[in-house]
Amino acid sequence: MIKLSFRIWMLIIFLFLAALMISPTFEKGVLIRSIETDSVAFENGLRQGMKIKEINFVKIESLEQYSQEVSKFLEEENLSRIDVLTDQGEFIFLGDDLASLTVSEIPRTKVKTGLDLSGGARALVRAVNISLSEAEMQDLVSITSQRLNAFGLSDLNIRPVKDLEGNNYMLIEIAGATTEDIKEIVGKQGKFEAKVANQTVFEGGKNDISDVCRNDATCAAITDCSQISQEEFACNFQFTVYLREAAAQRHADVTRNISLDSSGQYLVEDLYLYIDDKEVDTLKIGASLRGQATTQISIQGSGTGTTQNDALDDARANMNKLQTILLTGSLPYEVEIVKLDAISPSLGKEFTKNIIWLALVVFVIISVVLFVKYRKIKITLAVILTMFSEAFITLGVAALLKWNLDASSIAGIIAGMGTGVNDQIIIIDESKSGDSAGIKEKIKRALFIIMGAFFTIVAAMLPLFWAGAGMLRGFAFTTIIGITIGILITRPAFADIIRKIETNS
Amino acid sequence: MEESHKNWYDKKYKLILLIPIIFLIICVAYLASFYSKNGDFIIKDSSLAGGTTITLQADADTQQLEDFLKQKFPDVYIRTIADISSGKHIAVIIDSSAGPDELKAELESFLGYPLTSENSNIEFSGSSLGQNFYRQLVIAVIISFLLMSIVIFFLFRTFIPSIAVIFAALADIVMTLAVVNFLGVRLSAAGIAAFLMLIGYSVDTDILLTTRVLKKREGSINQRIYSSLRTGAFMTSTGLLAVLPAFFLITGLPDSFRQIFLILGIGLFCDLINTWMTNASIIKWYTVAKRL
Repeated sequence: MIKLSFRIWMLIIFLFLAALMISPTFEKGVLIRSIETDSVAFENGLRQGMKIKEINFVKIESLEQYSQEVSKFLEEENLSRIDVLTDQGEFIFLGDDLASLTVSEIPRTKVKTGLDLSGGARALVRAVNISLSEAEMQDLVSITSQRLNAFGLSDLNIRPVKDLEGNNYMLIEIAGATTEDIKEIVGKQGKFEAKVANQTVFEGGKNDISDVCRNDATCAAITDCSQISQEEFACNFQFTVYLREAAAQRHADVTRNISLDSSGQYLVEDLYLYIDDKEVDTLKIGASLRGQATTQISIQGSGTGTTQNDALDDARANMNKLQTILLTGSLPYEVEIVKLDAISPSLGKEFTKNIIWLALVVFVIISVVLFVKYRKIKITLAVILTMFSEAFITLGVAALLKWNLDASSIAGIIAGMGTGVNDQIIIIDESKSGDSAGIKEKIKRALFIIMGAFFTIVAAMLPLFWAGAGMLRGFAFTTIIGITIGILITRPAFADIIRKIETNS
Repeated sequence: MEESHKNWYDKKYKLILLIPIIFLIICVAYLASFYSKNGDFIIKDSSLAGGTTITLQADADTQQLEDFLKQKFPDVYIRTIADISSGKHIAVIIDSSAGPDELKAELESFLGYPLTSENSNIEFSGSSLGQNFYRQLVIAVIISFLLMSIVIFFLFRTFIPSIAVIFAALADIVMTLAVVNFLGVRLSAAGIAAFLMLIGYSVDTDILLTTRVLKKREGSINQRIYSSLRTGAFMTSTGLLAVLPAFFLITGLPDSFRQIFLILGIGLFCDLINTWMTNASIIKWYTVAKRL
């Protein structure tokens, strides 16, 4: 029985903890990535993060099965009973579909993969013409995330980032979104104004608007669709907006002295809706509303497309956009997108496959090279085991910190593994060197070299945390984590293992 | 054998130092002419110069595609990514200074089908942001280099050996940059990060050499240098063997990934020259002068 040293025990404990952090699972089902908070499904208890196991007693084991089941709802005209079994219980409600949910496959581990591996869209946004302080940027971030949440896109990562020169940016990453989605939501300031006779009656946001009806068919709906020409369809929508007293009073004041048109049914002046100073809609004001402090206003609009379904989608999107802007108000600053990336999930899968291949090839090459050099299976195994441990514990730390592993982070892990192998070669060679110094002395010298190399790498990587708005910080992060684990946990253990191998032989 | 080896080295180490110095001078001259021709020390891709990169998941006729796109975007640049097992093209990378919408529209008209989030990646950087990134990454490289130098001085606390390590690291960067430019690589932000990595990576063999020569008590200076060479050259070659498959074997990796490994590969190769010819010769000269 070999007695294990304290350092080797440490390594074992950390490996165990890392396994706990990564916690691989083979659970079947689909995961709810986001859910609109005012949907029927949400009201009945379904939440983000739940895992769907069955829909209407049909087992759901994959995304394909999920879409198959959900598409059945589309064929039905009326509300139907929807029975969803999740890992946190069963939910039964009446609804027409599950469109308010976005789902994905259950991740196999708790390691989060970044956009360039899982697919999605990313934008780097900054204010136009002014430089924002950190607090102002925080404001922009919180209003933008409100907006994104109103859109039902909650599987997102939005945060302020700062670069080496002190510029503040807002970074938005949305899994499964397209660049059009991001442009729509954050590409414009979204300043909403409703004007009558060139006077502002109300604006978007909570100062003027107490509520906007959404996802409730009684006060927000597509009203009708029609074919307007050979190749064009149009659909109209309508939804109710609830104004605050002050805005309602303004409406009364502005309309009081406006005369009626020739039909006598409407005022001569219309209500104009502007988004970012561009007129988007004109509404007639009924005669009965003249001088009235009305708190309920019905907003209408339309969408078009080459098929009825396209027109329907367009109308829904327009309605959603208008509702969002009315509800959340405009962004406090005019913004521009300075970097916009969209990554396809299938390309990401291809990349992941290749990275796993690469890791395997590197492992094999290094094993062969080490065996050829040292001709000892024990030493080769020890190096490979250490290399693997380092990568594994780094992944554990990434999972613990909920770090999004992107391509550059993985490159960092591999680079860290490379340094690890180098250090182990130093330890082996120092301990085998023929001079008269004791093994302890030799390993001490090896550790001096290793510590020196460690500090130079940390020093070299540090600036990358800020340079270029931190877009490459993943590389610096995993490299530093990897070599730190190497220094503190794996290399001391490795030195002990080598000492044992050397003294045994 | 050991004896003749020593004598040979004692006579020739200054001559050996000449080799990397001549190579370094050639590299510096090349970079200077490169700068006067291109107005910069590197060729930037769209992530640094501003522009759009579209990665299309399809097997298209790249020559035809290039001819077609060149009419409208003269600076368009096209590469392919191949699958490791079948060698089939899995993606085509199109890089241009044009905006994403224009490039996408033109590409769609060539392909005859729309680009979606399923079949393509679109990455766009505004030109002012790209320049911003570039400037900052260059600053990062300089800061990195300074921090590394401080660590080296702190470790060895003697002037000449520390300067030897720092000079070797600088020579690594200059040589690697010259080779990268010579190969016509369009550097991305990730590529510049690789230069940072190189700073950290290349000095470990220099530290090994300096420590063994200055801190070890046994053996002649030549034996210490030789034993460091055996360990260090093996370390660097292992590193090269780990890095090169990332470039030559596994061709379906993200582009940023491949560039990092290509630069590390070239850098490690230059490191072999600079540690064992530049640094070793200087430290040998130092010990001779100091009669250590």
